Amino acid sequence: MIEVKNLKFSYDDTKTTIDDVSFSIPDGSYTTIVGHNGSGKSTIAKLLAGLLEKQGGSIQIDGLELNMENLTKIRSRIGIVFQNPDNQFIGSTVRDDIAFGLENHNVPQPEMDGIIETNAAKVKMTKYLDHEPTRLSGGQKQRVAIAGVLAMKPKLLIFDEATAMLDPQGKDEIKKVISQLHRENNLTIVSITHDIDEVADSDYVLALDNGKLVMEGTPHDVFTDERKLRRIQLDVPFSLKMRTALAKQGVDAGRHITMEGLVKELCQSLSNM
Amino acid sequence: MSISFEHVSHVYSAGTPYEYKALDDVSVTIEEGKITAVIGQTGSGKSTLVQHLNALLLPSEGTICILDRTIKAGEKPKKLKSLRKDVGLVFQFPEYQLFEETVIKDVAFGPKNFGATEEEAMAKAREALTLVGLGQDTFEKSPLELSGGQKRRAAIAGILAMNPSVLVLDEPTAGLDPLGTIQMMELFHSLNKKYQKTILIVTHDMEQVFSHCDNVVVVENGKIRMHAPVSEFFRDSSLCREMNILPPALIRMKDLLVQYGFEVPQEVQDIDGLAKVIARQVKHHG
Amino acid sequence: MGNITLGRYIPLDSPIHKMDPRAKIMAMLIMLVSIFLPAGWTGYGIIFAVTALTIILAKLSFSFIWKAMKPMLFMLVFLFVINALFLKTGTPLVTVGSFVLYSDAIFQTLYIAVRLLLMVMITTCLTATTKPLDMTLGIEDLLKPFTKIHVPAHEIAMLISIALRFIPDLIEETQRIMKAQESRGVDLQEGKLTERIAAILSLIVPLFVSAFQRAEDLANAMEARGYAPGEPRTRYKVLKLAGRDYILLGCTIAVQLCMIWLAFLR
Repeated sequence: MIEVKNLKFSYDDTKTTIDDVSFSIPDGSYTTIVGHNGSGKSTIAKLLAGLLEKQGGSIQIDGLELNMENLTKIRSRIGIVFQNPDNQFIGSTVRDDIAFGLENHNVPQPEMDGIIETNAAKVKMTKYLDHEPTRLSGGQKQRVAIAGVLAMKPKLLIFDEATAMLDPQGKDEIKKVISQLHRENNLTIVSITHDIDEVADSDYVLALDNGKLVMEGTPHDVFTDERKLRRIQLDVPFSLKMRTALAKQGVDAGRHITMEGLVKELCQSLSNM
Repeated sequence: MSISFEHVSHVYSAGTPYEYKALDDVSVTIEEGKITAVIGQTGSGKSTLVQHLNALLLPSEGTICILDRTIKAGEKPKKLKSLRKDVGLVFQFPEYQLFEETVIKDVAFGPKNFGATEEEAMAKAREALTLVGLGQDTFEKSPLELSGGQKRRAAIAGILAMNPSVLVLDEPTAGLDPLGTIQMMELFHSLNKKYQKTILIVTHDMEQVFSHCDNVVVVENGKIRMHAPVSEFFRDSSLCREMNILPPALIRMKDLLVQYGFEVPQEVQDIDGLAKVIARQVKHHG
Repeated sequence: MGNITLGRYIPLDSPIHKMDPRAKIMAMLIMLVSIFLPAGWTGYGIIFAVTALTIILAKLSFSFIWKAMKPMLFMLVFLFVINALFLKTGTPLVTVGSFVLYSDAIFQTLYIAVRLLLMVMITTCLTATTKPLDMTLGIEDLLKPFTKIHVPAHEIAMLISIALRFIPDLIEETQRIMKAQESRGVDLQEGKLTERIAAILSLIVPLFVSAFQRAEDLANAMEARGYAPGEPRTRYKVLKLAGRDYILLGCTIAVQLCMIWLAFLR
């Protein structure tokens, strides 16, 4: 689905924001990109969506090289949801906002209502179709943004810290929608996030530090290396902190990304011995 | 000298079709010299509550006593300016309030407004910037050149430079990355311990409440649902779950352990203590 | 900020609310032109009667119109003072020392006051009964013939609708920044001139910074969703003229003709 090779980008001459990054993302997978603020992860999202122009290397999406020629074609296959719920709500009602992308893609007017309703239903916003953005919560606005990009039938969905500005309830709503879309619609998903629960839900993790890809692998691979996580200023899962505390007491537990995993293992040693 | 709300109500847009009661007969006393977390769902009234502390909002009904001042509903508050100096309020995403050409000038803005001379204000600004961990090299930079986390620190320094005895922070870690969040919370912790500042933090993050706060005030539909010491609040997770709050990781871990047949005493409230409990039971079996 | 009534949409269920925005915009333009025809007090009487009837049909209250007028009272008082000082025609009415008030000063001011009142009434009939978005759709359609002479009708409409969409957000943002700066001791009401300037800067600079951030985010979001200015795109909302719209246009044209007769042909 996505092939990135030796990608390079900088906003100005003083600092390289993306420094020789290569990775590939298979069709239908759910990938999370992690890294501290300023590590370059949001820049990657903007490069993938063609909102910034790369300065070196190549990006292939769905077999097409991302360049000015293919931009429109590639854009119709990508949907991106941004961080700020207010600044991406363009229409004056939920209905109008979902219609915005359809209008841009020259969807005939008589088909629009059907598409709007189907996609609003996917994010459970049918009841709010005629609501104005001021009457919606942050989580609801993000759901509308998702419906808006889904309406254009993308193959790839990018979430650029889509949950960062939401309250716990809103975060939960969006995380559920994302994993549901991945399961039921077979969409390829790339999500940039700080949320460890979301990472645990994904198939593959890319970790960035100072514009370089420093770790990659399954969530378990990446999030069980406490020392490396600390070095690139990432959150250490509680299960790892617990493991360290247990080691001090002479109990050797395995590396787990989830608490459930750890407790199950501890429970076995409780019953086995 | 205390901070207390007595039967305080606040109504927005009174007398219009948009009338909305955000606070409803709230009575609560905030302990001085402690860190109090104010939690509750979006729209519960917690931001409205804290904006009464420096009289940005005035009560529609009731009385607020703060430090040695009294704010009564229907009365024009006296000594408003000195109240705002003594109660520093940091809004959500405070980096948006930076406006001067240089960081240090921006931080000195508050003290100057409260009557400090240019030199005094600059001295206070330097002190505050150092306190929040911003180095000399940032002082003369434009606020726009700073990173997100540094901007946030500069904005908080802008309030600290006024040397308030009460510091109120509305979701101070929103949008920061995990490390930035931890450093920010450690800063508030040390402000409280070293300078005995009374701190109120509005937050959604139970990990912060659990590891850095002394007391919790839960706001729900404009009323105080609960006010308790943190240790009591998290003693068992049923309270959190009842209020639709995700308990901190340690408490969830305790729950899971119990579910899987471990015995975990309620008093255990730190990771090493919990490790000891587990170790004892695992070894005992071995 | 919540008590500005001029130009505000009032969601009600009335025949005027249901009308096509294009018909309403055209009607408003025709009526506004009518005001400036020299049709005398009779003419104003007719316009007033017709507009008042529309206001009643739209279920709007006259106190709403009065509220919309209020901010203009200051302007009228100012105008009266200027007229009183400089207009020295008509019959002298009052003499105070060396100052003489002439009748024309009063008449001229009254004349303008009446015109202003009528303008407010007419525009309110449009703005209070038409959703901002419908208004932009109407403007877009009405400007369409002018695209031939390179008037970017669609872009203008998009610009207006986005501005309208973000006004509530910007108002909220302004209030938030005001509160934040008040917490830093800013006093927006009083103080010396230099303090006042600093206070205003502390409000305006952050507003600009955040507006630029917002604009950048918005541009990204629009581009990512396939918006390209100048490219052909379909439209979700379609406007349709109905019988009542023709009646409205017929009536306004009749008023217009009446004014022309009063002004020039009588």
